Amino acid sequence: MSLIKEQDYGTPARPGEATVSVEIDGKTVLVPEGTSVMRAAAEAGIDIPKLCATDSLEPFGSCRLCLVDIDGRKGSPASCTTPCTPGMKVRTQTPKLAELRRGVMELYISDHPLDCLTCPTNGDCELQDMAGVVGLREVRYGFDGENHLDLPTDSSNPYFDYDASKCIACSRCVRACDEVQGTFALTLEGRGFATKIAAGAGGSFMESDCVSCGACVQACPTATLQERTVVELGMPTRSVLTTCAYCGVGCSFKAELRGDEVVRMVPYKDGKANEGHSCVKGRFAFGYASHPDRQLKPMVRERITDPWREVEWGEAVEYVGKRMLEIQAGHGAGAIGGITSSRCTNEEVYAVQKMVRAAFGNNNVDTCARVCHSPTGYGLKQTYGTSAGTQDFKSVEKADVILVIGANPTDAHPVFASRIKRRLRQGAKLIVADPRRIDLVRSPHIEAQHHLRLMPGTNVALINAMAHVVVTEGLVDREFVAERCEDFDEWERFISGPEHSPEAVEEITGVPAADVRAATRLYASAPNATIMYGLGVTEHSQGSTMVMGMANLAMATGNIGREGVGVNPLRGQNNVQGSCDMGSFPHELPGYRHVSDDAVRNVFETLWGRTLQSEPGLRIPNMFDAAIDGSFRALFVQGEDIVQSDPNTKHVTAALSAMDLVVVQDLFLNETSKYAHVFLPGTSFLEKDGTFTNAERRINRVRPVMAPKTGKHEWQIVCEIAQAMGYPMKYDDAAQIMDEIAITTPTFAGVSFAKLDQVGSVQWPCNDNAPEGTPIMHIDGFVRGRGRFVDTVYVPTKERSTRKFPLILTTGRILSQYNVGAQTRRTGNSAWHPEDLLEMHPHDAEVRGVRDGDTVSLTSRVGETSLRVKIDDRMPVGVVYTTFHHPVTGANVVTTEHSDWATNCPEYKVTAVEVALRNPTPATAAPAMAE
Amino acid sequence: MTTTHTPPHIRLANEISAQFQQRDPAAAAQEIAQHIQSFWDPRMRAKLIADAGAPGSGLDPLAVAAAALLPPAVHG
Amino acid sequence: MTASGQVATVYVPRDSAARSVGADEVADAVAAQAGRPVRVVRNGSRGMLWLEPLVEVETPAGRIAYGPVAPEDVEGLVAAGILDGATGHPLCLGPTEDIDWLRDQTRVTFARVGVVDPVSAEDYVAHGGLSGLRRALSLSPAQVVAEVTESGLRGRGGAGFPAGIKWKTVLEAGSELKFVCCNADEGDSGTFADRMLMEGDPFTLIEGMTIAAWAVGASEGYIYVRSEYPDAIDTLRAAIGTAYDQGWLGKRVLDSELSFDLFVRVGGGAYICGEETSMLESLEGKRGMVRAKPPIPALEGLFGKPTVVNNVLTLGSVPMILADGPAAYADLGVGRSRGTQVFQLGGNIARGGIVETAFGITLGDLVGRYGGGTRSGRPVRAVQVGGPLGAYLPTSRFDLPMDYEAFAAADAMVGHGGVVVFDDTVDMAGQARFAMEFCAAESCGKCTPCRVGAVRGVEVIDRIVAGVDREKNLKVLGDLCDLMTEGSLCAMGGLTPMPVKSALAHFPDDFATTTTEEGR
Repeated sequence: MSLIKEQDYGTPARPGEATVSVEIDGKTVLVPEGTSVMRAAAEAGIDIPKLCATDSLEPFGSCRLCLVDIDGRKGSPASCTTPCTPGMKVRTQTPKLAELRRGVMELYISDHPLDCLTCPTNGDCELQDMAGVVGLREVRYGFDGENHLDLPTDSSNPYFDYDASKCIACSRCVRACDEVQGTFALTLEGRGFATKIAAGAGGSFMESDCVSCGACVQACPTATLQERTVVELGMPTRSVLTTCAYCGVGCSFKAELRGDEVVRMVPYKDGKANEGHSCVKGRFAFGYASHPDRQLKPMVRERITDPWREVEWGEAVEYVGKRMLEIQAGHGAGAIGGITSSRCTNEEVYAVQKMVRAAFGNNNVDTCARVCHSPTGYGLKQTYGTSAGTQDFKSVEKADVILVIGANPTDAHPVFASRIKRRLRQGAKLIVADPRRIDLVRSPHIEAQHHLRLMPGTNVALINAMAHVVVTEGLVDREFVAERCEDFDEWERFISGPEHSPEAVEEITGVPAADVRAATRLYASAPNATIMYGLGVTEHSQGSTMVMGMANLAMATGNIGREGVGVNPLRGQNNVQGSCDMGSFPHELPGYRHVSDDAVRNVFETLWGRTLQSEPGLRIPNMFDAAIDGSFRALFVQGEDIVQSDPNTKHVTAALSAMDLVVVQDLFLNETSKYAHVFLPGTSFLEKDGTFTNAERRINRVRPVMAPKTGKHEWQIVCEIAQAMGYPMKYDDAAQIMDEIAITTPTFAGVSFAKLDQVGSVQWPCNDNAPEGTPIMHIDGFVRGRGRFVDTVYVPTKERSTRKFPLILTTGRILSQYNVGAQTRRTGNSAWHPEDLLEMHPHDAEVRGVRDGDTVSLTSRVGETSLRVKIDDRMPVGVVYTTFHHPVTGANVVTTEHSDWATNCPEYKVTAVEVALRNPTPATAAPAMAE
Repeated sequence: MTTTHTPPHIRLANEISAQFQQRDPAAAAQEIAQHIQSFWDPRMRAKLIADAGAPGSGLDPLAVAAAALLPPAVHG
Repeated sequence: MTASGQVATVYVPRDSAARSVGADEVADAVAAQAGRPVRVVRNGSRGMLWLEPLVEVETPAGRIAYGPVAPEDVEGLVAAGILDGATGHPLCLGPTEDIDWLRDQTRVTFARVGVVDPVSAEDYVAHGGLSGLRRALSLSPAQVVAEVTESGLRGRGGAGFPAGIKWKTVLEAGSELKFVCCNADEGDSGTFADRMLMEGDPFTLIEGMTIAAWAVGASEGYIYVRSEYPDAIDTLRAAIGTAYDQGWLGKRVLDSELSFDLFVRVGGGAYICGEETSMLESLEGKRGMVRAKPPIPALEGLFGKPTVVNNVLTLGSVPMILADGPAAYADLGVGRSRGTQVFQLGGNIARGGIVETAFGITLGDLVGRYGGGTRSGRPVRAVQVGGPLGAYLPTSRFDLPMDYEAFAAADAMVGHGGVVVFDDTVDMAGQARFAMEFCAAESCGKCTPCRVGAVRGVEVIDRIVAGVDREKNLKVLGDLCDLMTEGSLCAMGGLTPMPVKSALAHFPDDFATTTTEEGR
């Protein structure tokens, strides 16, 4: 396999039906109106020399290499900035043009180091390529003129260098930062010959607003902006197309390797989720996969107080099988269970739930989505009939109003955030509902029309008020509702009640009624309005209600079933959607079909040769409760650090301590493995073979770039445990697992590895009705038939601020770190976020005598931890915020047992706390975890 | 620091019931029962049914009514 | 009848050129030493800069001029009775309008400059101000555009693009929001007409922009003035304030349907911001950097909206065209260069200043008849017309008529009408080098031919002059000039070779090696 090189058409594709026909070098080309001469030529297979043009950026016209001859035009226009007009006749190669192009290259090379042979990008440099293309043989200016060869290199970024001596001032990096990423961190400073790239106000990249997304590195045509790994390891020699294993955006990457060593991860232009863009995690933070902390051999111990003993695979698997059977023999079939991971592939997750259902003989399988997006599954299924978002990411390009609720895309879903920001810069309007002033509210060239700064825990009151305005101000799309929905009249009566008016709930939400009304009018009267939401919606005691509330609002305004609209969960982890799809919930078989459905069960029973239980099993919190009361005694945990990530740490550790067997399958020893009896080493995404399904239901291939460092694929281990328990379970490869999923699950009927290799990716449902998949759902009707309006009563959480705990703690993520940090903390990303900080409003800090950087104790009624304070008026008064990326912080030591009424999704977003100044000591481990 | 524990099945049943307070009690009980039947492990349902009969369980009356509609739970 | 004891009206220019030679002190001296009540009017300059400070006294026979007046001359002038229009003093120049230098001009755009009090609304109206706007508002926008087209008015910034065609494009562009932008970033060396109009008759520019706004459907206007013109900025701001007070700007201009808001924006000192697209970038708050065209500003200009971008003199000519009708303007001039041009005589010249006259006057006439030859008294050797990027012409080309096309045919350009004279001590290789140096210093840095080429140009000329591989380097210089002309993104890089090539063509001996000093 060799390096994959996508074709660069020079300028972006222009949408549109109308076409123009032009003649280029005698070839007739038909292109959409507005297409540049350069792109039209590229489509006709004619490459025009270029340096400042690349098809991810708007044309700029600075390098002057792409000059062409056009009949009837004076001079030599630049083909990148010249749009095709009907009948245009273009010549791209004439002696005069050749002369001009050589002249330009001569100038470039007169101010460029002549170190090609020792340059890290030798062979992958557009400047070098162009010198060859134009036939530059001599630089008549010599090399002793004024130049930039002595400019210093900025190595402040952990991942890439900026070597100014190699810069050709093409501005591609600056434009990528502006147009692709939308951060506007880079600029040109100086004039004329002194023009150079500067980060921010001229400091280093690290000191600037740079978010290290890599777009500049990607755009640079020379070695000026260069991954340090390329400098250190040399140019890669082959690429493997795969999918990022961080957030739910699911970016496609080319893993570029030398031998089996990953040199760099390069975003793949034809990847539908990211279209060539990336963020600091996916692009650069892959070093954890080869981190020395990785445990590569299985380990076993009788008691959790014993030291670990490394064993061979056979012994570990036999031990697990034997102990599981013994526990079932002693305590019943329902005494064991498993948890699947949203970080694992669909195939790995499917294997675990199959092991639980067929080999364990129960439905005690749950997934870490329980603690993030289970209310999405419930709420959207109740209202629309399917447990998934309605749109593809691209749809946002057609949105006129974007309503972001309880999501922080620039940190948690950065690549999609860039798409949102681009649309906003084009003029779409933005409404943000969030207690914090997240970056989207105001950032370069972006400003939300409305920031509805609600108190944590009052989402439902707010969404009801918005629906109330829609219904009482005549903003309902009556035609849509009549044609497509049911139970509207009853809901209309419910929501019209005066108790839902913005004025009535103003005191609850803290949002001025006039703002709610104005924002609602904006949303409801837009041609296309879309809702994007995150865990700020789901992780509440009314998470499911809120999901249904948003579904109601979108239906009532007719914002469902076409591009630019919809209700879209931004999934936290790479495969949240997939792990849910794969039957990870205790009440559902793959494809969200209830275990009580005889016909569905029959499909699996026939194929698996076992009778399946028709009753739902235990959810994760139920497992902990059952463990404490003694009826649940063994747990298989796939790739999730439940001790760090689940709420009320003390409760979790008590449950785990009470169990007879805890099996952890993970990359690293973690907080949970402290309570484990068996550790089964897992594989990183670079070793996995399978698929991830992203937040837009897109099934992407994850291709192994190296063999499992552990010697076995995770699904193989699962199969072997099942076999050790007497259940025959075997696949030759991951493709066979997907084939089984396709056979058993109608929404996946058309999916296979072969198909994905052929078309790149598909969005489920993918079957005979939709062989190419389904980018947008509910177009001709809701999956459940009619969209159902559900009365969404606002039931306040029981978690209230009190005199003892007067502040509300809410939690979230930061750009550079990911979840519990197991991966990102083992990369250079910690340069940006070495510790979790407690953000608090200056007023709340002042009254407690807390200054920026002080260490404070954070106490709730269930626990206490300590961390340092960052004073920031992005917080509202009365609300504090922290991240949970570092185990030392133990943010979940303080979170409570409250959970979503329908799904038990924990209420991470609302905890009553108090903050007090500590003696200046370094942050310490949380008491519960130090034991 | 300790938490005074309401047994989880009681707390959960009450939280579900709270969502249906505005509905007609009979219909609400039906929906609550259906929800519990769909999502709860049989051993939790069994506890609920057992406690629903007992005075002082702390169960919401709607939850009690719903429990009465649940079929006897069989352990999986 | 003016008699001793009555209030005399004395004009002392406020123009910064006059102030730079002591006009403020002269004005103070007049007020202090008059010995009787005087009204000192701070008018614009008449444009005879070698006579500044030029003091004028109102008499029944018209204004009598005295100059150049130093503050210490005032006492003697007063004593000589100039407040009553006495003509006996040696500094007396007679009636201003009879000074042949002024009398022989055709002042259209500059008709009121030096005549009126620049910030007096009454004065403006009394001298025919607003009649163009009133007439325009009585016409449809399309009719106004047609009249501007008919007048033959071409962009005075240098490119000479027909104003009417540009306006028509903007008029026909579909957009709720359109702009009129005035390019007052007058950065060409040897040019000062924009400044003198803004300081001497700002209402004319305001009126011109308001007419443009009506003609194209714009609601907002910006005047982009270079920061080096603080007096012009102050005068414009004062005049705009007055115009709002008078109902000439703002909502319902002159009780018409037109609403037009006008703002002054101050540049940051970059020559390139005189290039229209860079100016737009700068107006948007960005780095002054040239945009590739298309899209043209008329369709996607300021903030991406249809925008008229015209020079001060272009917009300043519009009120007269509308007031007197397009034919009156079109009757002046030659060929496709219609109307008048406001020439600016500078450099080593005896009588520098403003000469507004119809196109067609010869270069020799301007330099000789008006300019009076060099100030040094030595023979004229070269004249650079059209700013620092214009061609250097030898006296053998003094027959050239001032006409866009005739100049273009002579590998030269009229540009913004700046005429800079050099005597026979000039080193033309040094001037060619300066052109490249200027470009290197002022290039926006966007396109390669300009950004890198100008620096290499300086180096190559140095090598030529030093006698290093002379023939080879002359070829390199020629190739570089071709590349910059053909390959640059904007006129900055594209025109830089013009002075270089003209110097090479007309004064080749100056490029001989410095070791051989012959040929001077």
